[in-house]
Amino acid sequence: MSLLVARGLTVSATLGEARVPVLRALNLSVAPGRVLGLVGESGAGKSMIGRAIAHLLPPGFAITSGTLRFDGRDLLRMPAARRRSLLGRDIAFVPQEPLTALNPVLTIATQMDEHFSHLGVTSRMERRKRAMAALEAVHLPEAEALLRRYPHQLSGGMCQRVLIAMAFASRPRLVVADEPTTALDVTVQARIVELMRELQQRDATAVLFITHDLRLAAQVCDDIAVLYAGSIVEQGPARRVFGLPAHPYTRCLQLAIPSMKGPRRALYALPEQMPGLRAIARMEGCRFAPRCPIAQSECFTAEPPLHGTEHAAACFFTDWISAIELPDTPRPPAHARSEAPLLEVSGLSKHFASGGLLRRSQTVAVRKADFIIAPGEFLAVVGESGSGKTTLGRLLMGLERPTFGRIVLAGREVTRGAGAARRHRVRTAQMVFQDSQSALNPRRRVGAIVTQAMEASWQHAPRDVRMQRARELLAEMGLAQELASHTPAQLSGGQRQRVNIARALCVVPKLLVADEIVSGLDVSVQAQLLNLLQRLRAELDFAMLFISHDLAVVRHLCDRVLVMYRGEIVEQGPTEAVFSAPQHEYTKALLAAVPAEL
Amino acid sequence: MPRWLHSGRAIAGLVLALAVLLAALLAPIVAPHDPNEQDLLNTLLPAAWQAGGTRAHWLGTDALGRDVLSRLLYGARVAITVALLAASGAMLLGSVLAIIAGYFGGWLDWLIGRAVDVWMSFPPVVLSLILMTGLGVGERNVILAIVLVDWTRFCRVLRSEVIVVARRDYVTAARLVGFSHWRAITREVLPATIPLLVTLLTLEMGIAVVVEAILSFVGLGVSSNQIAWGQMIADGRDAIYQAPWNLLAPVLAIFITVAAFNMLGDGLRRTLDVRMIEGRA
Repeated sequence: MSLLVARGLTVSATLGEARVPVLRALNLSVAPGRVLGLVGESGAGKSMIGRAIAHLLPPGFAITSGTLRFDGRDLLRMPAARRRSLLGRDIAFVPQEPLTALNPVLTIATQMDEHFSHLGVTSRMERRKRAMAALEAVHLPEAEALLRRYPHQLSGGMCQRVLIAMAFASRPRLVVADEPTTALDVTVQARIVELMRELQQRDATAVLFITHDLRLAAQVCDDIAVLYAGSIVEQGPARRVFGLPAHPYTRCLQLAIPSMKGPRRALYALPEQMPGLRAIARMEGCRFAPRCPIAQSECFTAEPPLHGTEHAAACFFTDWISAIELPDTPRPPAHARSEAPLLEVSGLSKHFASGGLLRRSQTVAVRKADFIIAPGEFLAVVGESGSGKTTLGRLLMGLERPTFGRIVLAGREVTRGAGAARRHRVRTAQMVFQDSQSALNPRRRVGAIVTQAMEASWQHAPRDVRMQRARELLAEMGLAQELASHTPAQLSGGQRQRVNIARALCVVPKLLVADEIVSGLDVSVQAQLLNLLQRLRAELDFAMLFISHDLAVVRHLCDRVLVMYRGEIVEQGPTEAVFSAPQHEYTKALLAAVPAEL
Repeated sequence: MPRWLHSGRAIAGLVLALAVLLAALLAPIVAPHDPNEQDLLNTLLPAAWQAGGTRAHWLGTDALGRDVLSRLLYGARVAITVALLAASGAMLLGSVLAIIAGYFGGWLDWLIGRAVDVWMSFPPVVLSLILMTGLGVGERNVILAIVLVDWTRFCRVLRSEVIVVARRDYVTAARLVGFSHWRAITREVLPATIPLLVTLLTLEMGIAVVVEAILSFVGLGVSSNQIAWGQMIADGRDAIYQAPWNLLAPVLAIFITVAAFNMLGDGLRRTLDVRMIEGRA
């Protein structure tokens, strides 16, 4: 007997005059005690399901047909008061952004008290006792002290624990978790997932786990539903879906994820990206066909139904999936050059002063960093947020002044970045930013952005020379030339990140500092970018400092790795060696937190 | 059609402002009389449509027999000149300081911020009266006084906008590809603040018209051989019952001009302000 059942659920958005479906005739069921994972890339419509359950569809979106039943009762047609009494009590939610989900001006005690009084606990003492018990259930130590705190005094992981405690406090029968760990560090993510699993098993709760992370889904979920462009393309037990995918999309995603085990392999990069809502509405046949490696002519005319009983997939050519092969991209040889190092950093430290005149305190962001980067070498910096990785990158680029230490770049000291040292740095090192939206001036055209370096000198490069270079760069990035006249707002996330990289490569630097440039992107776009970086490396021969929290990506891309913990480099060495035989406790914890393989 | 023209408010304001501007420009051609020509036999004539009025003086004459309509038209010249120059001057001074404070931050920001605080603690009208007493009357000094009083308005608002824009990664990226500070400011920071600047400028023009009228009213405005609406109000007060249009005409003129600038500014703010656009989407 399933607890939550969706039959033919269709959610439509009103775009101008037209109504276009965001979710199309969805059939889902979650049984008590089971965890159903909804996976898919951004734009697939996964969050819409959670929102439909919560009755919180964004303006312009509406459920146009189908049913959604919870425990046999129709969630869509029941009176609002009935639904309100179900939501928060029998159906609980764990949000994506723990820090914004809590009210910043109320203490944890007040918020938990409110929650329990909403649940109908009348006695104040009883509410307090329940709150303490709930916090203990999520393994938060010193619950008493914690209750007196405000959300900003807690870490993201602790906030998420508080929210999970609140969600599970009413012993709900269904928990909807929408990307509950996306905003958290890897090590924290592992603990949160473990905790949710523990609470879920304690009460035999049904969980709808919405995520873009396939590895995480494989680890957490019993069943999986893969969404593409508003439809379920594959559904079944997690083991079978990931063990032997029956839909080419699932297979391609699986091949797009870098692996933590075995020899390093190439990544499968699906071309293009998921079509937008309007494009989907106009499509005929299988929505995935234009990107599908095994699509046949009939895929473009007829839409395959979801077939199969336990493990179902919407594809005509399920048997051909095994024919999807990885492209044979030879990896560039490992860099074992004996030349002089490109970058030499010694004793580099950065202290931030804070507080007033009397109570001055110092935060050490980076402490005595020593490392080198050889020409053409890809060096990764890993660590959790607040470990100083970003500050390290900014120090190298001269965006922060080092408190101590020196930086020698291509044979010249650039520690104090002014005058000639700055010009030297501009020629030798460039940076790619994490947030491609903020890194591209919305008022400029792509052609002008990528050739910005040519605008910097007082002698202006003539317009046609710039446009020529812009076209070269775009071609190099695998982008269409017409994009040169577009504004950043007209590009997709993946395209924007390519433009971002193109700008840094305009003058062909010897060193690229890349701060989390593939995080927050969809798996297929991430694979495209990683393949691109490898091709560019072979063609342009630059070195890179690659700041990342994703160890599998690091393993895929980088030759050596630095592990940072609380501002200190606690371990460094060749990637393979560090990952297979970690020495420092923190490195071990970091590696243990990575979800198992698909 | 540019986006700001979709706003009815902005169009109405623009049309009215252009009408005032046109009146100022064409005053020598369309004015029926020399504004300073005295006709002591026909003083305090009522408007043409009132009893005793004459077609020769549409809005009547003042206590010295000067044509009110002509004076009104010539008065627009001072009002518009002061509005344009004083507002631009205040914008220039205020935004230069705002950009220095917002872009570079640190002790410069602190210094400029405290200067603005101190400056704004003086009541603006009192401050401008004191300045005019020190500087002496004259059109140029009126403009100077308004600039010196009102630059803080630009400085404070623009500074916060510059802080937001200057912390964007694309400004850092421009510096990293070798842009000088000057180039980063002019190419990356300033264009993002232009909608705000245009809006503030228009609103400031309205304020400048009012301040100029106040100063002229108390006799600390333009020199006595120039015609200003504030002065006309001061002159018209005594004859309010015999020739009400002596007073009403300049009051209405100020009202229309200020309303025009405010409507234009408000319309621009609603159409150009990114936050308001995003809020609607």
